[in-house]
Amino acid sequence: MATVALIGNPNTGKTTLFNSLTDKYAYVGNWTGVTVEKKQGTLKGTDIVIIDLPGVYSLDPLTKDEAVVTNYLMHNHPDMILNVTNASQLKRNLLLTIEVLELGYPVVLVLNMIDDLRRAGYEYDLDILEKTLGCKVTATNARGHQGINKVREETIRYEALHPAQLNLEYPPMIQQAIRQASTALVNDFSFSPQVARWLAIQFMSKNKVIHKFAQEKKLAPLLNQQKYYEAQKFADKIFEVRLQFIEETLKSARQPLSGSNQVELTSRIDKVVTNPILGLPIFVLIFFIMFKLSFDWVGTPLSDMLDHFISGPVSSTVDNFLTNLGAIPALRSLIVNGIIAGVGGVLAFIPQIFMLFACISLLEDSGYMARAALVTDRIMQMIGLNGKSFIPLIIGFGCNVTGIMAARTVEQPKERLITTLIMPFMSCSARLPIYSLFVAAFFPRHQALIVLSIYFLGIVVALGMAKFYQILFKVKESSVFVVELPHYHLPRLDIIWHGTWDKGKGFIKKAGTIIFAGTVLIWVLSSFGTSGFVTNSANSFAADLGRILVPVFKPIGLVQWQAISALFTGILAKEVITSSMMVMFHTSSKAFLIASLSQFMTPLTAYALLIFILLYAPCFATLATIKQETGSTKWMLYSVASSLVIAYAIAFIFFQVGQLFFG
Amino acid sequence: MAQQNYILHSFDCLNGATAARLHDMGLCEGCPIKVVQKYPFHGPVIIENDHQRIGLRYAVFTSLTEAE
Repeated sequence: MATVALIGNPNTGKTTLFNSLTDKYAYVGNWTGVTVEKKQGTLKGTDIVIIDLPGVYSLDPLTKDEAVVTNYLMHNHPDMILNVTNASQLKRNLLLTIEVLELGYPVVLVLNMIDDLRRAGYEYDLDILEKTLGCKVTATNARGHQGINKVREETIRYEALHPAQLNLEYPPMIQQAIRQASTALVNDFSFSPQVARWLAIQFMSKNKVIHKFAQEKKLAPLLNQQKYYEAQKFADKIFEVRLQFIEETLKSARQPLSGSNQVELTSRIDKVVTNPILGLPIFVLIFFIMFKLSFDWVGTPLSDMLDHFISGPVSSTVDNFLTNLGAIPALRSLIVNGIIAGVGGVLAFIPQIFMLFACISLLEDSGYMARAALVTDRIMQMIGLNGKSFIPLIIGFGCNVTGIMAARTVEQPKERLITTLIMPFMSCSARLPIYSLFVAAFFPRHQALIVLSIYFLGIVVALGMAKFYQILFKVKESSVFVVELPHYHLPRLDIIWHGTWDKGKGFIKKAGTIIFAGTVLIWVLSSFGTSGFVTNSANSFAADLGRILVPVFKPIGLVQWQAISALFTGILAKEVITSSMMVMFHTSSKAFLIASLSQFMTPLTAYALLIFILLYAPCFATLATIKQETGSTKWMLYSVASSLVIAYAIAFIFFQVGQLFFG
Repeated sequence: MAQQNYILHSFDCLNGATAARLHDMGLCEGCPIKVVQKYPFHGPVIIENDHQRIGLRYAVFTSLTEAE
């Protein structure tokens, strides 16, 4: 079975190409660092495996996801490398290409986004590029599905390709050093000549991963010469030779096209959205519209329709069917009041959640996200983070787990840790159902505004904690903030749909697994008591548990055992809170639950509860990700403890102060 | 705002990671760049070079172009 690796700079359309070539879908966005782990698929109609690696600027990694690529190349032997480049920015893309070519695998160079280049008024002669670089070159427009077949054909014929052999003319002194080092590596450590040469060049270029590798393997021929390489500034000289080679190559291959020099769309849009004065207000407006679409204009009406359908026809049909079958009351209760009410209650929120995901996907695909990072950098700098942390935090609105994964693109380890720790305060979509329910019950006229205020509170707490960590960890001002602003793309419906589905499918999957399990558990707890099966849930185990804890929650306004018991289940997954409520009130109708809630809670209590739900302990999946990404259980436990304390404190202050005004 | 042209003159004052990233993006000493946008209060600066737009922090930008 053959393997083909996709390598290229960030934002060159690797993932779009990957999706066109393979059967399996992987997630695409128009900002740096969308692919945080390598993804795998098979070339349509063959058994050739294609691996989509994260975007990198060079093989010397600065971030965690960039390290994935170098590690992949060091420990795997792909049969071919597809090097995807942005045709309009070949100069810097070829810097990576040279590093890849020197490794000596068969390479096909893909000039993607060729349409952007032609629009700028010129083109490259592919034959000249093929001759100078010594590898196959092909042009594509992956978004427009042009040139994909050519890439596919080249990939199928990978065995016919020659290994790349690019020998740049480095200065004689460096050539000699490379020769000496690689001969010794071949003789003493039995590397192949090509890999030995590559290792030597990478070592001289101060690649951190290769330095570490050399130390681990005790590669004396390199280590002994390290001081000499550095004193002679080999790294700078190698870089200069490469850059000069690229400039000459591009100059000889460049061909002007006639009559297509139009004013660029990107410049025109950027004049508005990155305007020094309008930039931030536009950013706020875009997010406001996003919330309006999800919770007022489109999402909520659709959710209501779905809810009526589940709690009405579906629930009663199943109930009648079971009655006719003569099912015992406990079983009927489990299915109708437990499973349909709980799982169905959560499924009814699909339209809202998908709408929110569609908006986030749209922003990613258009190229706006990088601008958002830029306009927010100044604010983020004040709390010791940079604009790049901003994108993961926005993704955290969808799901904290993916947000934490996306934080891998943040260069500084301390900034990455802070981003990870504040992520749970970003209100993920799983918390939405419970907000929707409460705003419908208590604030029917200001639904979008109240939900927005909760999100906003989450952001404020996150920023406050970030500032606290900045002081605690003594973060210095040495952070890296160099952000590439990609050309805008007209959003494509299929890519947005794929992005939405990719983010949202997890939600549906959870409905079938953890929410289902949580629902059954809650049904058991709320249907059985010390006296066995109970019809009134006030006599159940759940009620007993909730009542014991009432004194603890009383200061934040919570005196109903139902709400308290539901909070516990939220640690499984936040969606379960809603289904728990449905089950404990023995209803599958949102409207009925809304009516019963408003009987024994005031808007003040409801808002305090929302605050608590927003901030208290992250769900299991998020905790597992925190552990994985920070590599420590300590941070995971810390995350639970700190968020509980913060949630309680803020809800307490809000409720007590609120009582003075409304009590 | 009037567009201004600069020549990058020194990478010495930058931290290693920032310098490496700029190198990776094809920027080097002597490269011509155009300032597309500057933000108030020493906010980020957008520069353009070889058809790519890059956002930098003000401090990085000034240390790159200081001698001008």
